[in-house]
Amino acid sequence: MPMRRSPKLRPGAWDALVVLAVALLALGCGLMLWGRETTAETLTAVVSVDGREVERVVLDEAVGERDYSGNGYTLTVGFRPEGVTVLEADCPTQDCVRTGTITRSGQSIVCLPGRIIIQLTGGPVDGNAPDVVIG
Amino acid sequence: MAALMAALTLGLSGCAMTPADPDEAQESIQVIAMDTVMIFSVYGEKSTHAAYAAEDEVRRLEGLLSRTEPDSDVSRLNAAPAGEEVTVSEDTRTLLEAAQLYSKITDGTFDCTLAPVSSAWGFTEDSFRVPSRTELNGLLKNVGWDKFHLSEGQSLAASHDEGVEIDLGGIAKGYVTDAIAKILEENNIPRATISLGGNVLVWGDRPDGTPWRIGIQDPARVDVADGYAGFLNLTNAFAVTSGGYQRYFEEDGKTYHHIIDPATGCPADSGLTSVTVVADWEQGESNGTLCDALSTALFVMGEEKALDFWRTSGSGFELVLVTEDGRVVSTDGLTDCFAPDETSGYAYETVS
Repeated sequence: MPMRRSPKLRPGAWDALVVLAVALLALGCGLMLWGRETTAETLTAVVSVDGREVERVVLDEAVGERDYSGNGYTLTVGFRPEGVTVLEADCPTQDCVRTGTITRSGQSIVCLPGRIIIQLTGGPVDGNAPDVVIG
Repeated sequence: MAALMAALTLGLSGCAMTPADPDEAQESIQVIAMDTVMIFSVYGEKSTHAAYAAEDEVRRLEGLLSRTEPDSDVSRLNAAPAGEEVTVSEDTRTLLEAAQLYSKITDGTFDCTLAPVSSAWGFTEDSFRVPSRTELNGLLKNVGWDKFHLSEGQSLAASHDEGVEIDLGGIAKGYVTDAIAKILEENNIPRATISLGGNVLVWGDRPDGTPWRIGIQDPARVDVADGYAGFLNLTNAFAVTSGGYQRYFEEDGKTYHHIIDPATGCPADSGLTSVTVVADWEQGESNGTLCDALSTALFVMGEEKALDFWRTSGSGFELVLVTEDGRVVSTDGLTDCFAPDETSGYAYETVS
């Protein structure tokens, strides 16, 4: 006598729904975690003008120059995978130009007259690098 | 089935939605105020609240203490006729008292009445020039901590002599860091770094449990982003640096920096290129204010007098001095928390 499958073990519409839900949630988890790692590991320049973030430039993909203006002054900023440099500025102090190239997370270039700040975030963590610079 | 789905949903959601350790939450904000860029990185459950409360406090204090904002306490005081009492806020009064105290104990090398002299050099308005000796001598007649007056008792009145102008810029950022420390304490913030350019407050320790690492800018390599004179490894502490390299101009091949010696009216020529003053945060104390006032005063004094002052003042603060002749001198209270930068080329000395 052929064995009959119990009706309780037969896959139904609810089971398919559960499988779909599990698959979607797993995909969601993966994407969220992947997104977090990308954010943490990729060196990114965050440009703020007058306290407001105006652009994020991922340095891995960046080669080129862009202009940013604030408070009547304009900075020409060079982006390369190795770091960020203010190439030219028409501000009176030129502190931003003198800062040179910033290359790792936590470093920043400040143009106080233009109220422009370029800060690096993300990238590999170096425990010996200073958290804050004083001076 | 519904229960199974709910369980699966909750369980899987947990992999991405599990609440992070509250201590790891972080808020980082930039504030442009008091003629500088401030960066607040605050951790903990109430990090966002504390960071923005700190910004509000900065704005409030700037509104009271600024010399350039027309309605500030300091502007009202400066605009008042000589001898007329002006009622100021408790914060302004406290800071004026502190300014007088630090002027007294440093023999006048810190002085908040130097504003007209700084203006003559163009440091206030960024219109630099070299004033004549005659002009400086005239302006110095109105300089001195005993030329402004605070009323006795509970009154919040202040007044000044003829021609005197007050500028609390050399001490106000220190007072602000004291106020921010209070906000961090009230909000049970586990860790934070508060940077006001030359003024830093490190609160708690790093997320990995080690002390915060502060790089002291090398005055000789300001154009190198990683140019340090040394590193301070600190928890719950203030550090303030004053250096001639921070603001200066050149004329006829000579460099003139912004730290004025009240005795001469000219940029201090003390043989130092920077002074860093370090003090622990202590509940109810104003050690941020102390570090700010002393960093300027000790820069003006020069190495020998600054170290004598440190030796006779007790153990409330420590020093890192960078000299023009290529040395970095640190006091022995920093033995465990100061590290040289081996690439700097400086000779390192510890004094006791």
